Amino acid sequence: MSRMLLVLGKDLRVLRRSQLLVTLLVAYPLLVAALVGLVAGYGSSKPRVALVDEDHLPAVVRIGGESFRINDAIREVGKNVHLVRMSAAGADRALRSGRVVATLTVPPGFLADLKSGIASPNLMYQTTKGGISSRVTQQLQALVYSLNRRLQRAYLGTDLHYVQLILHGGDATFVGRKYHVLGLERMHVLLLTLPKSRTRDQVANFARIAGVALGFTGSLLSSTANPIGLERAPEKARSSLLSAQVQAYALGLTITFLSLLLAAGALAAERDENAVGRLVRGLVSLGELVAAKIALAAIVALALGLAIAVVFGVIVEIGGVVGGEPWVRLPLLAVGLLLAGAALGALGALLGALAREARAASLVAVLVVMPIVFAGLIPSQIVPVAGWVSDALPFAHAVRYFSSSLYDASPWASIGRELAWLVGLAAIFGLGARIAARRLLA
Amino acid sequence: MTEAFLRARGVARRFGAQVALEPTDLEVVPGEALALIGPNGAGKSTLLSILAGSLDPSAGHVQRADGVRVGWVPQRPAYYDRLTARENLELFARLEREPDPASAAERLLAQFDLPADRPSSTLSVGNRQRLNVALGMLGAPPVLLLDEPTASLDPGQRRRLWETVAVVREQGGAVVFATQNLEELDLYATRVAVLQRGRLRFAGAVDEYERAHAEEVFS
Repeated sequence: MSRMLLVLGKDLRVLRRSQLLVTLLVAYPLLVAALVGLVAGYGSSKPRVALVDEDHLPAVVRIGGESFRINDAIREVGKNVHLVRMSAAGADRALRSGRVVATLTVPPGFLADLKSGIASPNLMYQTTKGGISSRVTQQLQALVYSLNRRLQRAYLGTDLHYVQLILHGGDATFVGRKYHVLGLERMHVLLLTLPKSRTRDQVANFARIAGVALGFTGSLLSSTANPIGLERAPEKARSSLLSAQVQAYALGLTITFLSLLLAAGALAAERDENAVGRLVRGLVSLGELVAAKIALAAIVALALGLAIAVVFGVIVEIGGVVGGEPWVRLPLLAVGLLLAGAALGALGALLGALAREARAASLVAVLVVMPIVFAGLIPSQIVPVAGWVSDALPFAHAVRYFSSSLYDASPWASIGRELAWLVGLAAIFGLGARIAARRLLA
Repeated sequence: MTEAFLRARGVARRFGAQVALEPTDLEVVPGEALALIGPNGAGKSTLLSILAGSLDPSAGHVQRADGVRVGWVPQRPAYYDRLTARENLELFARLEREPDPASAAERLLAQFDLPADRPSSTLSVGNRQRLNVALGMLGAPPVLLLDEPTASLDPGQRRRLWETVAVVREQGGAVVFATQNLEELDLYATRVAVLQRGRLRFAGAVDEYERAHAEEVFS
């Protein structure tokens, strides 16, 4: 053990003197994490949708006694999608070339049908093929929902106006003709002026009951139109930049890069410097040499991971962001960082032993890191194979551990499971590295 | 009969399909200076690496007398470039379980006239080779294995190296060195082993070799 510690001490001393390398190893994954964040942000940004107005909608549309400014409506739905006016041919070209993800067409006669209140007009939409089409469909459904809500309010207003006419009477226009409506209240008054009879009382009673019932029409129509409402509460959650997932991914990505590259490069460098031949002459066994590289990766992962967690914690404290346990859970996080660093270091040592030369090992490690990380980012519900692959690699387990240890109210089940995975993977890759390390002597 | 420090029995080494060393028997006894000679690719470095224990033989084995330490000076310097000469010497002294690593490092730095606190990567070629030899001397091993140790040394450095080697022999140790310099064979060897294409062609006294085989070895 002490010989392994001597080699580990040497590696840490060498690392301390390679400041440019350490800076790059720290900066590069953080840069990649930021880029991943930007890509994720772009993925959730507003899709670009072509609006084809074949009905030549006027700037202001009056429906149900309410005025609609078309540009206002576009601006409102623009919270979810970016609507761009295009001709039918232009929209078709843009959809084919991918410049828009969908086209939304207002067909001829749309406004006339809408104003009539008799026929229910349709907006037509077309999307690209592929994974984004379902999301665009959801956005367009949200757009139509938003328009329908505004129209419902207008229609309800119109309907209630007619109800008021029936209740209280007055002048009205319907399909271009003017009418004078008596109203139930005045009808009731008139009935009472007629000679008393059983029939008169029955009709008067009906008019009274009908009046009371119609008095509830407004609230009944509202609840029928919107059985369930959705109200947005004031924002209390932390911003997406400080979310648990971003922090867990930043930690996972950084230590994956660091641990893999360090362990792979450090083990292969023993051969490059010809030191391995001197060491294995009874001074340090190959197993101790591999263990030293795994320990190096684990220690560096712990130090850097804790530094990142502390920075996150300080930002969270300064920002007064609620949620999570930035300080209390640090010891728990430290255990995960050590084990994840060890598992990744074992994988890196395996790559270093297989590559044999430090340059080749570093290149292989960089090439391997990307698929490992991206396999871990793909939701296993969408691509099960990616889930199986990432299960066999430490990154996804590390991310789940970090997320649970920092943010779950009851993290123990998840942490126990991921710890078992990390220990198992460290043992398997460590054994593989020990076997492959014989190649360093060839 | 003097007990051999090292006894190789049928040691052979393959690298894939390539045979680097055919089964070879060789002994290293106290007081001798055994020269390994032969053209490039003859198997000298492979045999020395196997004797040093830094390379496992594909077949056969090497017996080492109880408690005998073996100093190893490979052809290509073997140490850490980012450490200074002192740090390299102290690290390997600790690994060799020297009782006082700092003193051992200081002694060797002085003996080999090495710059102590510069990164090893900045040392001259000659200093790099001297550091390589100094590392082989850690633990005062009675057996010293040197793989073309003077190839990058100037005449003065060569002379000092052979003086150091002579001290090992005078103290009852043994030296095995690979060389392509036949002058070193005459000056410093007591016995010679000749390798050609991985096969041991001759092992015996220097004068016997010179009478019978000198012309054919490098032909």
